[in-house]
Amino acid sequence: MAGDQGFVALVLHSHLPFIRHPEHEDFLEERWLFEALTETYLPLVERFQRLANDKVPFRITMSFTPTLLAMLSDWLLQARYVRHLEKLIELSEKEIWRTRWQPPFHRLALLYHHRFTTARQLFVDAYRRNLLTPFRELADGGVLEPIASCATHGFLPLMDYQRAAVRAQMRVGAQAFEQAFGRRPVGMWLPECGYHPEHDAFLKELGVRYFLTDAHGVLFASPRPKYGVYAPVYCRSGVAAFGRDLESSKSVWSAVEGYPGDFDYREFYRDAGFELDYDYVRPYVNPDGTRVNTGIKYHRITGKTDDKQPYDPDRALEKASQHAGNFMFNRERQVEFIRTVMDRPPLVVSPYDTELFGHWWFEGPDWLEFLIRKAHFDQRTFTLISPSDYLARYPKNQVTQPCMSSWGYQGYNEVWLNGSNDWTYRHLHKMVDRMVDTARAHPHATGLRQRALNQMARELLLAQSSDWAFILKTGTHTGYAYRRVRDHLARFSHLYDSLQRDALDEAWLAEVEAADNCFPFLDYRVYAPTNGG
Amino acid sequence: MKDPWWIYAYWEVQPQVERQVRSQLSPEETIGLRSVLRVYDVTDRRFPDQPAHAWFDIALSGLAANWYIHADAPNRSFLVDIGLLTRSGRFLTLARSNRVTTPRFGPSEVLDEEWMVADDDYWKLFGITAGVGMGSSPTALRALLERGLASQALFSPGLFSPVKAPQGRGFWLRVDAELIVHGATDPKASVKIQEQPVALRPDGTFSVRMHLPDGTQTIPVEAVSADRQDARAITTTVTRQTDGQPAAARERSESRAGSRDRAKAARKSPL
Repeated sequence: MAGDQGFVALVLHSHLPFIRHPEHEDFLEERWLFEALTETYLPLVERFQRLANDKVPFRITMSFTPTLLAMLSDWLLQARYVRHLEKLIELSEKEIWRTRWQPPFHRLALLYHHRFTTARQLFVDAYRRNLLTPFRELADGGVLEPIASCATHGFLPLMDYQRAAVRAQMRVGAQAFEQAFGRRPVGMWLPECGYHPEHDAFLKELGVRYFLTDAHGVLFASPRPKYGVYAPVYCRSGVAAFGRDLESSKSVWSAVEGYPGDFDYREFYRDAGFELDYDYVRPYVNPDGTRVNTGIKYHRITGKTDDKQPYDPDRALEKASQHAGNFMFNRERQVEFIRTVMDRPPLVVSPYDTELFGHWWFEGPDWLEFLIRKAHFDQRTFTLISPSDYLARYPKNQVTQPCMSSWGYQGYNEVWLNGSNDWTYRHLHKMVDRMVDTARAHPHATGLRQRALNQMARELLLAQSSDWAFILKTGTHTGYAYRRVRDHLARFSHLYDSLQRDALDEAWLAEVEAADNCFPFLDYRVYAPTNGG
Repeated sequence: MKDPWWIYAYWEVQPQVERQVRSQLSPEETIGLRSVLRVYDVTDRRFPDQPAHAWFDIALSGLAANWYIHADAPNRSFLVDIGLLTRSGRFLTLARSNRVTTPRFGPSEVLDEEWMVADDDYWKLFGITAGVGMGSSPTALRALLERGLASQALFSPGLFSPVKAPQGRGFWLRVDAELIVHGATDPKASVKIQEQPVALRPDGTFSVRMHLPDGTQTIPVEAVSADRQDARAITTTVTRQTDGQPAAARERSESRAGSRDRAKAARKSPL
């Protein structure tokens, strides 16, 4: 049975940028959602449900960004995902034949076929194409603590100069959450853990009780936090900040020292889409003929070699179980040690990107399931908890001011502000100025003007996704990120100009509304907070 | 603001603003006039009503429209003017920035009486957080942590970088062989290849594609009519033999070029 010497909060942050291109029959970047569905979201849901059915008590916290929520409930993307799965099933059927004389690969082809057909069965039959349904059930069942995130995953510290933009990202995030889960968010994931002092006041307005920061956000808080990151602190607004524990993060995150780099685990970079005869895989890759990942991968990491050995799922599963045991053991020792310094049970907060599990780390969902089972059955030191449950148990916490910080490289803003993407900010800032001015100038817009103003707000939010700056920095898919910033900026500016000249083009507006159709509830007045609305 | 040490400024000066400011200059003053950024430390000051603690200038070159400023001072507030500096030291402001405050880097010296913590205990917790072990000495930890805490590469890879550059170096060759077995029969018949059922297309044709390993494969194909009255069987035998130097035979063992196969695959269509 789990114990009461301390607590561990596992937090998974789920996010994808809004990518939906009805103007194209097939669109490469839409695959990001499809891959995440097949490899991460569906396997996690399946495992959480199994744990719940087996009556294993646990708590896990998951954040959902509004862009992801919008895509999960979008009929076009749902239909395209089913089409994508059908193609994968077809390919895996051919693979079963192709590998007949290669037993280790044949077995994997059967496994993939099973995974894809199971995914289709769950997605289409069990969840009626809407993954929010099982997530809501898990939340209602008490195992999942869902939390909100900002509208389009805008990186808030770089918006601080225009707090109306910060506030709008948060408010739209809370609204989207409420629409999806039918409840107010108790916590909010700040994109990239990007916190800037005083932004917590906007969370307070929304009734949000906590957010997460990276370790140094809390450790460097002033006054000095008595318990370091092993207890939350309250900002002066009364909103709690939970600091990330780096030790537990490292073992999962780090590609070098972490579990995912184990030689028995599946190799991410050897994919059938890149390896097989071109004519054969051609129907299953990008329509323009570019090879892409299919998700069918036959090798294990093996070692620092290109001579990769066939993947052995049994061995990998055994390793995932061992690693779950190791993680649990380390948390027990950690909790015991911290207990000697603290006069109350410590809380270890371990946040991860959801997509790490399954997509990057194929065995991640298995590891998580093993960990949850072991944490319940095999130890008596700590209990899995959600941040809000912890606050309910320990409502008295130190008041201090956390520091500006993020969980990006070097801990601050440099990933989203450097030579590759700094040019975006002059445009984004200008857009916010115009948005705020226009919203104030039209406090009661109706009809076409109202639609135009709402769409302006939508375009602004979409342009603010931290993803574009991130992609520009990392150097792959930069053309796409550039195009997205430019498109949203152009649409916004066109609407702004048309509105100024009182020359709105209804047909054009309708087209843009149909393309960038996220957040149907969006009210542009979020940028003109006059009457608290 | 980029981090505790660097701040970022961008600007756009309207020509009429610049003209107007320049009109305040005497003709001598326009000689040797420079564009500069003036960076004020305005920590806890209501600038410009209260004077800045200090300021420094950065000479701008050419057509710069943005600048990364090495303020090198965590936990301080800054404000930046872009302006014109005469040789005699007169400064005329063209535009003024918003105020930014760099984050503190390191633990706060402010302690809370109600939540007092012994220095040793704080550093112990700090050490565990950073995963540098439990029970290292506080002094050793401090140096290590302040440098390393924020820079651990524990950040998201995102979903966006699916292709890794190939690691192999130099010239290489990879060869493999696959076999296509195809044929046709009555569309209503059922067909098995190596005892595995195969789906027929509406016109009665079928095909399967298989990876062909070295060695000999015997491939029986059987068709049975829908009424189970008729049956036909055709068997094909295929041999593949691969010769070639394995990559490891070369002296540079890191040259992982895949197997340099020369495949001799006898391809036969059985029907």
